[in-house]
Order: sequence, then structure tokens, then C-alpha cells
Amino acid sequence: MIFQEDMTIQRKLEILSDAAKYDVACTSSGVDRKGNGSGMGNSLACGICHTFSADGRCISLLKILFTNECIFDCKYCINRSSNDIVRASFTPQEVCELTMEFYRRNYIEGLFLSSGILVSPNHTMELLLQTLVLLREKHHFNGYIHCKAIPGADPVLIEMLGWYADRMSVNLELPTADSLRELAPHKKRKNILKPIRQIQLRRENEKEYLGLPNKQILLGKSDIIDSDMKEVISANTSLQLYQSTPKMKRRFVPAGQSTQMIIGATKESDYQIMSVAEALYKNFNLKRVFFSAFMNVNQDNRLPSTEEGPPLLREHRLYQADWLIRFYGFQTKELLSEEKPYFNVLLDPKCDWALRHLEMFPVEVNKADYYTLLKVPGIGTNSVRKIMMARKNASLDFADLKRMGVVLKRAVYFITCKGRMMYPMRLDEDTITRQLLSDKKQLPHGVDQSITYKQLTLFDDFNLNFNVN
Amino acid sequence: MKVQRIYLCENSIEGIFTAIYQAWSSRYGHANIKIQEKNDMGLYSNFELFSEYFMVETDLTLVTKVSRSIKEKISDEAYQMVYRVGISNYKGKADLIYRFLIFGFSVGPKILGHLSNEIVGQIYKINRYVSNEVHHMHGFIRFSEQENRILVSVIHPKNNILALIAPHFADRLPEERFIIIDGNRKIAVLHLPGKSWVLIGLPNYSEASYYQYSSKEEEYQDLWKAFFENIAIKERTNFNLQRNNLPLRFRKDMTEFQS
Repeated sequence: MIFQEDMTIQRKLEILSDAAKYDVACTSSGVDRKGNGSGMGNSLACGICHTFSADGRCISLLKILFTNECIFDCKYCINRSSNDIVRASFTPQEVCELTMEFYRRNYIEGLFLSSGILVSPNHTMELLLQTLVLLREKHHFNGYIHCKAIPGADPVLIEMLGWYADRMSVNLELPTADSLRELAPHKKRKNILKPIRQIQLRRENEKEYLGLPNKQILLGKSDIIDSDMKEVISANTSLQLYQSTPKMKRRFVPAGQSTQMIIGATKESDYQIMSVAEALYKNFNLKRVFFSAFMNVNQDNRLPSTEEGPPLLREHRLYQADWLIRFYGFQTKELLSEEKPYFNVLLDPKCDWALRHLEMFPVEVNKADYYTLLKVPGIGTNSVRKIMMARKNASLDFADLKRMGVVLKRAVYFITCKGRMMYPMRLDEDTITRQLLSDKKQLPHGVDQSITYKQLTLFDDFNLNFNVN
Repeated sequence: MKVQRIYLCENSIEGIFTAIYQAWSSRYGHANIKIQEKNDMGLYSNFELFSEYFMVETDLTLVTKVSRSIKEKISDEAYQMVYRVGISNYKGKADLIYRFLIFGFSVGPKILGHLSNEIVGQIYKINRYVSNEVHHMHGFIRFSEQENRILVSVIHPKNNILALIAPHFADRLPEERFIIIDGNRKIAVLHLPGKSWVLIGLPNYSEASYYQYSSKEEEYQDLWKAFFENIAIKERTNFNLQRNNLPLRFRKDMTEFQS
């Protein structure tokens, strides 16, 4: 390990932002908070992107590690203890200074603080807490803070941190306990789920106290749930309030918690991954589950090679499905199954689903209810809202739909207006698929443009291999 | 057939509202009237043949009357939508607002549900366009600290949105002295601690006169640039996506894209 004394803050920032870049969540959304007339900062529920880096990802928060010194040796991680890289640590003061000065200049929306495990989980957590307290109490920072909870740290520390952060997250790292055991020998799935459960219960407790309705709860509990989750949920020991509510005008983790998983490092199917995500939403009331396309940063030959680039398309499809589950009333088992465990490479999950359920289409735009309209490809939540509003005053035609932002290119196969389709067409799976794919611009990035539908059926069987590597 | 009348007004909410009042009270018939705003350069667009031109002098009492009627007979929300269209750079916005109000005064607050109507649809579209630019600017504005600790930002928005951006920053930075300059329109928003923000004209504005960085400023700019470079993942480089999310027109005013 290389240690350097007297590193400049510029050098530290370079090292510790470089080390933090693989963390996915950079959202600043979920909490509306007006400025308090003094100090600095406010927060908007919609979130604000401040710039976009060369990989096209949004930069909203100052995303840094507190330190990249780590006692753990997770095989996929650039900061693992067996790697010979330059190590650096911030001091709480340095993090505060960077945050305040960046925030003043409107570079950022707030702070995203993560960390390697320095000495022990408790020691690291104490440093993070110290930083947040300093930022909130001394610098009167009222902007957004997202902070990692370190699994294995004392629950008291986790709870204290929750009173200063807007969002907390614990990384699930990998979808199943088996792959976690294999790749991250120092981490235990149960230890990861425990703080998630603790934060969830504390939030629900506070919401009851404040009399706020919980809008997030999805209907029903997930039936696909693994033994670790069951155990953590049934063990109610984590519902101990270690602290009485501190006397501060803040809520406990108001923007909720999120988590992330690495995709493509291990052999889980899309079906398994989505089931885990759904179970997390339903049982742990998470705001977001993030997916991170695996990159073999350590050139470790025990892990799959990513020389052809990380599995970005797969990541994209998972996010699309994630949206369908959270906002469109879909369930994982509708989109995928044991027999068809991977998403279609060429079509988005909603189109793919609609093509397999042609018996439900076409739907009449002027009559169909909210949830039926939501299931039409090319019609999103905004369009549905507009349609519901507009059809009270007039019966709608295709031109009206286009004006309201419906993507007719996709929707046209699945809807009627005033009882008619836009033009006569055969409604079978093959014809529609061929039509949908005839526009090459609609094909996802990285798929061979010369592909035709007949080759595609072969390709579909191939799907399994394509996705795994 | 009557000769078409064209009311030429100032390119501002006030100008447009005055013209609307005068056009309405002339009782000449809505179909025979057109309202046109002067364009931003102060020049007139091409004159149309076979029409009578009326120059509209902005009159604030008429403006109040029109805005009060909109709020009372249609709704506050409709007023806000009209306002956003009024500050947009859409050509022909004056006439669009006129047509919208004719329809609005006849159907009342329900007008916002008439999404399939072409005029209402257009109003919504412009609203989204203006609101999007406001939202972008909330994120893309960059302040630089001057020697006297004043924060200065120069932007070049397409729509005249300073007044919509200012409340956000006044709320966010209550203890800062800051100024946001619209370089195209030569106007600025000023904010002092403990006071509400004001909009002022800067007729003599030129780019160079506002940059006298404080001693620490360049250091933080370098830190920010270093962060910006390092946070990107090389293997995922995707300039198309970056350009979709952050169009080039914003970049000349953004620290991280200045060399």
C-alpha cells in the first residue's frame, strides 16, 4: 500500500472522486425543503442535475469517498485491500470546505459521501457522522446530503447519521447471498439487510409520529423473497429506538433510502435480479434500487472479462423494467419468468410484454381506464394524465394524441381512436415486431444494424449466452 | 369585408396585455384583428398588405385590468401559463395569447383541460419549453466569486427567464450577495442579504467588465474541473448522451467547459 504524507486537497479530490465514480446513485431528489433564511441551501423534490460528465451521467452531488483505505478485499472493487493503489483520506473539515464552496458557486446540489472501511466499520461511521454534524451545525448547510451506512456499524451510529442525512443507502452489492459470499468474503448479506431494515422502521415510526401517509408502499407483499430477507424482517429486534428524537427541526432520512447492485459480475438472470429489486421495494420500502453494469477494473481473471465494454444494454433494460414496476403497475412475474429469464435485447420490456399479450389490445383511447392505458407501449404516465384530462372535453383522435406527446410510432399498433385503428393492419406478433424494428434508429446502441427479424428469432434463443457473459 | 387590423405592441407581458385590451374594446371583431409583438432587436417584422396598423403604447392600468380578468374569469394557473408564454421567444406569442384568452373567457377555468385544442396545446408546449429552460438554469448556472465576495453569473437563455430563476437562488443563498446577468437582454437580477431580489437593466453591460476573481476563486475552479474529469467512467464514454442531456449552447457559460 502506498501512503503519501502532505497530499494537496486537489490530489486528494482527484483520487477520492476517481474512487467514488463507480457508485451509481447521484440523485438529489425526494425532498422538498425551503431555505431557512440563514445559512445556505434548500432542496427540491424533483432533484436538479448540475452538469453531465463525459459518460453522459448526471452530476448532481459532490460524490466522493471519505477515504479509499479499506480493510475489506471485495474482488470487484478498485479499492480492495489487496490492490496496490495510492490511498488518501479527507478530513471532515476538508469535506465541509469543498461542499460549501462548491455549493455557493452552484456547482453541486449537495454531498454524496461514501467511504472505504478505515480501521473498522464503527471508526469509519464515526468519521462520516462527524463530517455531517460539522456541515449541518457549524456551516449551517441546508442542502442535500446522501450518505452511505456502513454495514456492521453500531445501530446507534446509523440512527444518528439518519438525522443529518437526507438519503441513506446501504449497498446490496450483489443480488444473491451466494455471489456475495463468493466475491465479497468479508461481507454478509444479513449484515447488509439489517441496517436497511433499521432505517426503514425508524422512518415509518417517525412518519406515524408526524401523521404522514406513506405513499410509497406498493400493493401487496412480494411472494418471491429469500431466506435472508425473511429472517431480517421477522427479527424485530432492530426496531429499537436507540435515541429519542433529537431536538432538531429535521426529519429522519426524509428522502428515503436506496441501494445498488452490480450487474453481470455473477451468473444471476434478469429474472432473479428483478425479483430481488421488487422484494426490496415491497418489503423494505426502498425509494430506488440502482443497477451498475459490471466492469472488471481489477483485471481479475476469476471474474468475467469486460473487454468489449460493460453490459450497458442489460443495465438499461433493467432500469426500464424497474420503472415499469414502480410507476406502471407491472410485476416482475408478468415481465419475466423461470422459462424466459432474460429481457429481449431488441425491444423494451413494455413492448415485449404487449406483444406477448396481444389479446388485450387494441384498447380504445377514449374509454380505457388509467391502468389499461398505462400498459400501452408509447404511452407514459404524463401522456395518460393528459389523455384523461383531454377526453373529458372532446373525443380524441390520433392527431390529438401526437400533439399530446404520445409516441405513435409504437402506440399505433395497440390503440383505437373512436373505434378505429389509424390504418388497417394485421395484428399478429410477427408483423408488429417487424414493423417496430424496421426503423433502424429504434434499435438499441451496439446492436448490429443489419439485423432482420428472421435472424432475430435465432438470436432470441441465443439470448441466454449473450446476456451471461 | 373589413380591412384587417394589426396591433403592434412591445415585446413584453405589459405590451401584449395592453394590445389585447385595446383590440378587445375596439369591438372590431376578433377574426379581423391580429396582435403582433415587436421582435427582440426592436425592428418591425415585414408589414402585411391590406392591413391597418395600430401602434400600442403600453399602459399599466390596462395591464392590471387584463391580468385581473384572467385570474378572476379563468384561473391563477392560466395566468401563470400565459405569463410564461409572454416571456418566451416564441414568434407570434401575442396573437397566440389573444386567441387563448378569447377561448378562455368563453369557457372559464375548464380551458386547461382542452388539451386537444390546437391553441391550448401550443400554450402547453411553450410552457414546457420555458419551464424546462428554467429547470436547466437552476442547475447549469455557475457563480464566480469576485474580489468583494460578490457572486457573479452570466447566462444566455433563449427565453426571458431571469425573474423565474431568481426566487430559487434567493431562497438557496439568503446570506450571499449575488448577481445573475442575462447577457443577451442586458438585464440582471440583484440580491443582497436580508432583502428581496430586484431586476435591473444594464444598458452598458459588456462581458469583460465583470471578471475580477477573488484570490481563492481560481483554486476552486480548478478543483471543480478536476472533479468533473475524474468522475467520468472511461469505459462508458458517451458524448452523444452528454450532448442530449447538456446541449452545447449552455456550455460557454459553464466553468467546467472553459479552458
